[in-house]
Amino acid sequence: MTFLAPAFFYASLAVAAAVIALHFIVTRQPRAGILPTARFVPDLPATATARATRPSDIPLMLLRALIILAAGAGLAKPIIKPSRGAQARVILADVSRSVMDSAAVRDSVRALYRNHDAIVEFDSSSRLVSADSIASLRFSRARGNLSAALISALRAGSSLRDRADSLELVIVSPFAAEEFDAATDSVRKLWNGKARIVRAGAREPSGDSSAREKPAISWPTSSSRPPGAIPLEARDTIGGVLAGDALLVASFERRWTYPEDSIRGAEVIARWVDGEPAAIERESGNTCTRSIAVPITSVGDLVIRNDYKRFVRAVSGDCVATTATIHAGTDKVAGLAGPARLAPREAFRPRSDVHSGLAPWLLGIAIVAAIAELFVRRRRSIAATESRLDSRPARRAA
Amino acid sequence: MARLRDGREPAARSGVPDYAALLDSIRGIRWPARSAVRGGIPGAHTSRMRGSSAEFTEYRPYRQGDDLRRIDWKLFARSDRAYIRLSNDRAILPTTVVLDASASMAFPVESQGKWSLAAQLAVGLSAVARNSADPVGLVISREGEMIQLPPRTRQSVIYEMVRAVSDLTPRGSPPLTSALDAAVRMSGRIVLISDFLGEGDDLLAGVSRAVVAGKEIHALHIIAPEEIDPPRETLLVSDPEAPDIRRPLTGDARDAYLTAFSQWREQIAHDWSEAGVSYSTAIVGDEAPDHLIRRVTAPRGIAATA
Repeated sequence: MTFLAPAFFYASLAVAAAVIALHFIVTRQPRAGILPTARFVPDLPATATARATRPSDIPLMLLRALIILAAGAGLAKPIIKPSRGAQARVILADVSRSVMDSAAVRDSVRALYRNHDAIVEFDSSSRLVSADSIASLRFSRARGNLSAALISALRAGSSLRDRADSLELVIVSPFAAEEFDAATDSVRKLWNGKARIVRAGAREPSGDSSAREKPAISWPTSSSRPPGAIPLEARDTIGGVLAGDALLVASFERRWTYPEDSIRGAEVIARWVDGEPAAIERESGNTCTRSIAVPITSVGDLVIRNDYKRFVRAVSGDCVATTATIHAGTDKVAGLAGPARLAPREAFRPRSDVHSGLAPWLLGIAIVAAIAELFVRRRRSIAATESRLDSRPARRAA
Repeated sequence: MARLRDGREPAARSGVPDYAALLDSIRGIRWPARSAVRGGIPGAHTSRMRGSSAEFTEYRPYRQGDDLRRIDWKLFARSDRAYIRLSNDRAILPTTVVLDASASMAFPVESQGKWSLAAQLAVGLSAVARNSADPVGLVISREGEMIQLPPRTRQSVIYEMVRAVSDLTPRGSPPLTSALDAAVRMSGRIVLISDFLGEGDDLLAGVSRAVVAGKEIHALHIIAPEEIDPPRETLLVSDPEAPDIRRPLTGDARDAYLTAFSQWREQIAHDWSEAGVSYSTAIVGDEAPDHLIRRVTAPRGIAATA
């Protein structure tokens, strides 16, 4: 049995203990005796009392304790068979392109999963999956996004708050650098508890930098079109292009576009400022090829500008397959762990109220016992009065 | 319960004193008067009157009106003068025991020790007086009535006293002064047996008047050891003669009680002795009844010098 509001029960225990203690330490009139020379005793108030060494009235004491405990237990809303356990987990399983060893992720998730846990798989988006789906987790080529995964974890936590007192967040991921974004830390703080970091599915770091793949870049020329791109029927002019963090603002004549068939299976590495793809990357064996549809004119000072140089560095960097496996810094990953305690269930918004069926009965018992206490006390008072009246003639006779 | 000097218990286990053992233990004790008694019926005590008993004292010249039979004719023959032969007269001393039967004498409640000792002293002293051929009587001051046995010398008077005290249970708070007045009217020697917790000043005034009137007054103050050393546990004690007095006998109150009770006893002893009363204290269980009787009846005054 557990209590929905145990503080009431603990408070009633304390009050009942105090009542019992009062029955032990309550003072009462000392034993009466006859002393012919009582007139020489100082005339102190006859109500002076003596300390009792045993409970003064056990039935009344038990009745009072029952009243308090029943009321406290009723207010505490006891549940005989609790519907929730002590702890549940929300497991975030990374299925993005950063995962090089999908079996390791599956095994980790399978080892961590227990009944009543929730599993959220994530890449660029996140989805709540069932335990049966652990063996069939679908790994994608999409970039992972921890912020989206953490948002889904908060939603899963709200659904688990009725099943567990505490919630633990478990993140199974290689923790690539590209999976972190500016919102990750803020979203992480919304989970008010610790997170267990399980690094799995990462590629073992290689010490030989020359072994990294270098992309084959196809820049457009006046006579050739970029691979995979088709000429626009109507050329237009656009004011800028963005590659990663590098924004190049200039007037470009847009001559080509990438049809959907070309983009499928490829990675967009640069976009025009209106969102249209400006450069794509496609895997090719151990390396990759990049098709850039940004025409570079020889007129003007564009090529000597710094933003142009940053743009060129962005589109000529390592292949996406390589950047996807770059590990995030240790500080960043450690920041995900958060505080040492588990998240309490109260930290999540409840979905519905839980009602205790025993509460009305216990409160009823408390009321009945309180009424009975009045009768018992009244009967004892009458008995005491009668005995006092009976004792007077006896004393006279003595 | 105190034992007699020969080791026997004066009271049976039922609480009824064994008067036979007590009477046996005080056999032979005499109780002479402390001063010359008034003349009257010949008895064992020295009388103030000069009479014609065999114990010669002096001659007195014959005066008109004297009985001619009292003239010493042999002396008249030798001296040719008429003399009357005088001798010390002996007289009886009617004795009455005034017994306080108020509720305070029924203490301790279980053993009735004070009442038992008072009854034994009353019977014992009466028996001693009766052995001196003195008439003995008994006045019991009891709530609502006063039991009187007028002074008599017949053999059964002691038995009547035993029956009177045995059939009685102390209760109430009767006035002792009226019993004293009745005893003073009947006797020349009054034995007052009480715990003196009743009317104090009135009783002392009555006793003083009796002493001035030439009565021999003996006061026996009966005290229970529980009154001298009450139990140390906290009690709400009540006075059996005044139910309104209910006071807590705590540790501090006990010390004050002991002081006040001791001072009161000293004051009683002083005041009654000053009034010319033979005052004695009898603590239950502290002294054998026959020993107490010997102490009370010990010769004093002219009896001691005789």
